[in-house]
Amino acid sequence: MDLATHQRSLLGLLRSNLDSSACTDPYIHRVAQSPDLQEAKRNIFLWRIYVLERTAPLTFRLLEQRGQLAARVAHFIATRNISPFRETQAPAFLEASSESADSLERSVARFELALLKVKAGDQGRHIAIWEFEPQVILHSLASAIPLPDPLPLGLYHTVVSRGFAGNLQIVSGHPPVFNG
Amino acid sequence: MMSTATQQTQPRRCAVGVTYEGRDARLLERMLPLVEYLEVTPETISEVHGGELRLSPDIMAELKSLGPDVQIVLHGVSLSIGSHDGWSDSYLRLADEFMDQIDVAWHSEHLGYTKVDGQHLGIMLALPKTDEMLDILSERVNAIQARYRLPFLIENIVHVIPDAGGTYSDAAFLNALTQRTGCGLILDTYNLECDAHNHPFDIEAFLAEIDATRVRELHVACGVEHNGFLLDVHSKLTRPSTVQLAQRVIADALGHAQAVVFEFMPEAVDGLGHEAIESELQRLNTAFGG
Repeated sequence: MDLATHQRSLLGLLRSNLDSSACTDPYIHRVAQSPDLQEAKRNIFLWRIYVLERTAPLTFRLLEQRGQLAARVAHFIATRNISPFRETQAPAFLEASSESADSLERSVARFELALLKVKAGDQGRHIAIWEFEPQVILHSLASAIPLPDPLPLGLYHTVVSRGFAGNLQIVSGHPPVFNG
Repeated sequence: MMSTATQQTQPRRCAVGVTYEGRDARLLERMLPLVEYLEVTPETISEVHGGELRLSPDIMAELKSLGPDVQIVLHGVSLSIGSHDGWSDSYLRLADEFMDQIDVAWHSEHLGYTKVDGQHLGIMLALPKTDEMLDILSERVNAIQARYRLPFLIENIVHVIPDAGGTYSDAAFLNALTQRTGCGLILDTYNLECDAHNHPFDIEAFLAEIDATRVRELHVACGVEHNGFLLDVHSKLTRPSTVQLAQRVIADALGHAQAVVFEFMPEAVDGLGHEAIESELQRLNTAFGG
């Protein structure tokens, strides 16, 4: 087997999208049937978890508390070609969560992504709309304590910008709309 | 060739180094008096700025402020030197940016690959030990040495899946690469232990065959065991056996080995604690005469 086919086959095994029974190379068969491969896949998953726990803690804890973390990370790995190293993983994960159909996940992820951007020097103003009272929720997530039940409803928006003390402002109601 | 476990080895001094990924000034303050080298991985001190990966200005400023008592060594994790379709240009851009700003004693990478056709594996895989692979690696190592005009070291990695084999043993493959290119080696003695634990890998045979005079740096670390596999996760303090293996390699490197670097990942710092890391560096200084 040439080098390109060898490496593509192993990529396919790690991503679970290669039918090894169709391969003629005995080495690929041996890897496919090895416990090592299962352990390697588990390590790939756990490494993503370790990094996200540290680099996107608010969204991580929200998903963890809701029992959605493993499924979200598995979907992220399967659908996004993102480096496993720290530098790009959190922004990509938060961008994906920012498009979630779930309102709270979307708000937390947009807020946390804004914090990352501003911390990295972004000069913009980043607004996230909330259908829940953000201060209580962010306090719970930052403190790693359970979210209040029921969640406190309310219309708010957060603004993350270098222009504010602590880079953050929480405002009641919709953000103002500027015309013209 | 290497001494055997039962032969008397001649102890030699080797400086101690440690990994550092920035933004932990209190930990750095405790480590600096105990190390002569800081090993920095450019990918882990990078941030995304406007969609582009750049070194963190804050961490670079921190590194630039270090005094002359500590040397920086640059250790890549994503060059992917063995990918069939070429290495990672984004890694080289980071290395360029780093070395434009900070003097480094040497530069190193892993003997493996992390990408295939631009797709991230999510893990680093070892390479088949064939002449085809050796030709590719030799050309790339020579290109890197010409690009940076610095010593370049290649590190042995853990085999996370069964060995792909080839026409060389692991040691013979490393020997051939160093002979062809003049590059040096990082020998990670914990990785050797992982391979011996997880696979039919013979550490004694490897040490007997490897040309230890090419070893400029050693890595010591420790991880956890899971499902019977010893994992290369850098989350624990080193085991005595790992240190003893490193001592044997240093003795047989005949003065060529310059640094032993204790590797731990930042995710492990809270669990280990600053005091334990400081104590570990003291212990390594005693073990290696640093």
